[in-house]
Amino acid sequence: MNLADSKKKLALAGLGCGLVAACLAFFGNPANMAFCIACFVRDMAGSLGMHQAAAVQYARPEIVGLVCGSFIIAAATKEYRSVAGSSPLIRFVLGMVIMIGSLVFLGCPLRMVIRMSAGDLNAWVALIGFILGVSTGAFALKKGFSLGRSHETNAASGVVLPAVMVGILLLAVCTTLLKFSESGPGSMHAPVLLSLGGGLIFGALAQKSRMCFAGSIRDVVLMKNFDLLTVIIGLFAVMLVYNVSQGKFVLGFDTPGVIAHSEFLWNILGMYAVGFAAVLAGGCPLRQLILAGQGSSDAAVTVLGLFFGAALCHNLGLAASGTALNTETKELVAGAVPMNGKVACVICIAVCFIIAFTNKRKAGK
Amino acid sequence: MMRKKELKLVLTFHTTADAMAMEKACKEQNAPGRLIPVPRAISAGCGLAWCAGLDTRHILKQLMDRVGIEEQDMHECMI
Repeated sequence: MNLADSKKKLALAGLGCGLVAACLAFFGNPANMAFCIACFVRDMAGSLGMHQAAAVQYARPEIVGLVCGSFIIAAATKEYRSVAGSSPLIRFVLGMVIMIGSLVFLGCPLRMVIRMSAGDLNAWVALIGFILGVSTGAFALKKGFSLGRSHETNAASGVVLPAVMVGILLLAVCTTLLKFSESGPGSMHAPVLLSLGGGLIFGALAQKSRMCFAGSIRDVVLMKNFDLLTVIIGLFAVMLVYNVSQGKFVLGFDTPGVIAHSEFLWNILGMYAVGFAAVLAGGCPLRQLILAGQGSSDAAVTVLGLFFGAALCHNLGLAASGTALNTETKELVAGAVPMNGKVACVICIAVCFIIAFTNKRKAGK
Repeated sequence: MMRKKELKLVLTFHTTADAMAMEKACKEQNAPGRLIPVPRAISAGCGLAWCAGLDTRHILKQLMDRVGIEEQDMHECMI
């Protein structure tokens, strides 16, 4: 089935993904996080002991489902292609940048859209940064940026990440080896089977529709093509209906419980880094997981960069804190980006510029 | 109004940068065509492709040879 041959089908794919996210939010995933790739990878890194932030440790079955859903549908429809060799270490660094930018903003592009649908004006502010970041990446593409072509490799190479994901899920379900949060966002989750099923469906739909938050804006900037944006609008529409119907739509800044902050500059710069790095890496965090599932070892290396970046964020105090109510004084405590996070964000943007304008295409013949 | 789909020549490339170089070369040399997302029927990837009329195959091939752009594949599909 070709989900991408009409805008209607693309919108349907987006609606399907939105329904999955809404179901998972309804059944226990954290408010307005629902299906955040950066948050869930960060939780997974915590469950593996890569960082020690006790509130964000949980081996999220959604991530396993995304990678495996993409793998299964790609294999079933003969689209699985094991490829590798396109500047893997640069992709690793870009994965780190994407995660650091995401945790300065507090969410990946998918969560940004979910937060936008819940009326969080900070996410709308961050959208400005994301569009500017993607546009800067698109400008670099116009100037000849390239990480080089990938090549066909052993079929087994592309299976490694899906296999590792299944291994993590088995460890989480069958042993007590992995860490689990007892309070905080990491302790809030939908039942395991529902999360896994949701991830598998989301992964399959995203693989077929080529859903990508960075790619959707890149296509508008470069070609005025709105196909991929249609998928995102579908997802946004479902989450908007869900939030309004559940009384979770609160228009404003400084909304406690949303896990967000109101430092406008850093919301913009965090998502600027994410948008810029995502275009250079060839896709947003969600797209990297999907590409890894359909056989790209280059995308799998970017995913490893996301894990490493998440560990750095919590081990070195780079991640922002969300606005919250002090349970004792009942006062609103404003969320903020720590100085380490601000410095890291600026370095990340500088790294993106260096990568963008030092890796140039070479003529083929 | 919906544009009627027609059978077109679609050139795919190994990298997005090759597609961008194709756009630049075609603009400079007034060659026909436009940049499009790679049609989903062709690839699960999300790169860019060059789309032009079926009768432009030789013109585009000569141009690519001249400027050093290597296509990944040439397809004919409804766009």
